[in-house]
Amino acid sequence: MSEPMIMIDAVSKTYHLKSRPEPVRALDNVSNHVDSGEVVVVIGPSGSGKSTLLRSLNGLQEVDSGKIVIDGVEVTDKKTDINKLRAKVGMVFQHFNLFQHKTALENIVMPQVIVAKRTREEAEEIANDLLAKVGIPDRGNNYPSMLSGGQQQRVAIARSLAMKPKVMLFDEATSALDPETVGGVLELMRQLAADGMTMAVVTHEMGFAREAADRVIFMDEGRVIEENTPNNFFDNPQSDRAQDFLRQIL
Amino acid sequence: MDSIIDKIGIVQALWPSLVKGLWMTFQISILAILLGSILGFCLGVAKTLGYFVLEKLINGYLHLLRGSPYLVQLYIIFFVLPSLGISWLQFDGYTAAVVSLSLYTSSYVTEIVASAIFAVPNGQSEAARSVGMTRSQTYRYVVIPQALKLTIPPMASVYVIVIKSTAVLSVIGISELTRQGEVAIMRMPGDIMFIYCLIALFYFLYCYPVLRFSKWAEGKFGSVGDVDH
Repeated sequence: MSEPMIMIDAVSKTYHLKSRPEPVRALDNVSNHVDSGEVVVVIGPSGSGKSTLLRSLNGLQEVDSGKIVIDGVEVTDKKTDINKLRAKVGMVFQHFNLFQHKTALENIVMPQVIVAKRTREEAEEIANDLLAKVGIPDRGNNYPSMLSGGQQQRVAIARSLAMKPKVMLFDEATSALDPETVGGVLELMRQLAADGMTMAVVTHEMGFAREAADRVIFMDEGRVIEENTPNNFFDNPQSDRAQDFLRQIL
Repeated sequence: MDSIIDKIGIVQALWPSLVKGLWMTFQISILAILLGSILGFCLGVAKTLGYFVLEKLINGYLHLLRGSPYLVQLYIIFFVLPSLGISWLQFDGYTAAVVSLSLYTSSYVTEIVASAIFAVPNGQSEAARSVGMTRSQTYRYVVIPQALKLTIPPMASVYVIVIKSTAVLSVIGISELTRQGEVAIMRMPGDIMFIYCLIALFYFLYCYPVLRFSKWAEGKFGSVGDVDH
């Protein structure tokens, strides 16, 4: 493994919000990396910068300084064709963000046809296979409003997978789900991890972090406070801040 | 009994000219709705692109048009512009009517389209961008189709307002429905009440289907896959 799949080098981002008198330092000189096939889980209290970090990985969030490289392509370089890069980096959102005017199948077909330039037939075949893979083979003709949260998130994951990404980013993918549908989506994510997908996951699901992560990154106030294997992190956290945090939530 | 026969007689006598007037009203309103909607759609989309100067210019245009009565706008375009001596601004009545009404329509359509675009949740564009769509692809395939559904009800009310505004055109001598009615009243001053009611009925027969159609379209296109959360 010569080069990591994701390389984050001294990235900083400050928000200047009208609602707050002080600027908010969301990312403070963050450096890290994710190897190919590795599953990294980012945890931390809200406002710790973990979502900002994840969103900066595919350029949805611009950063002020620092460098991000994914699969050899520099995200933070203005000259990079960011659309081409994003097609290789799947992103799953907290609120699913399925295209509301399209059926589940069309949600998966449309990006393939428009961005990946596949034929309709090919795209539909891939979409149907993926719907089966995420466990809802018979929901292709449903509009998002007719699907449960868990089903919508499965479609969203399938939509990302259809682009054959090299990396998948999960931004609190189960936070908006009903408790009984969380398990299924997490199971799907575990399966992806087991299949060797490179994943960066922001989550509050500690069970998932412990079982599926190769490495846990704990963030607070825009900084990486601690970085460890899941077992070490949960059983024997090094920093006071992480100990506090774990005491609060467990 | 006599009076009913009398009224039927009036309707028969006026029928051809009122139908001609309705046809003129129809032509001008359809042209204005068409041209105004195209212009308004473009301006509405442009307003949401986030270019500061462009947005200010469009806002200025909207404030000018929406902050003055349509009648005054019509006077300016029909009476004042020709006096500037610029040859392509020498409109005849028909052209002045279509141009002024189109501009008037566009001012409302612009606002409707822009607010509909803003009403589409940001997550929709983020999802589109994150699978690699360009900004214009995101607009074309994700944002605008959803925004257009939201425009159906307000658009229908604007169209009805535009149709009714054509009555104002009688002041520059366009023989639309109201003008035809006025001419009829000159011929039969005793039946002024009946003739105005007849004209109102004609307008109603035109406007009501538009509103019904919008209700139908809203149900058909607006409900499935509606924009929520």
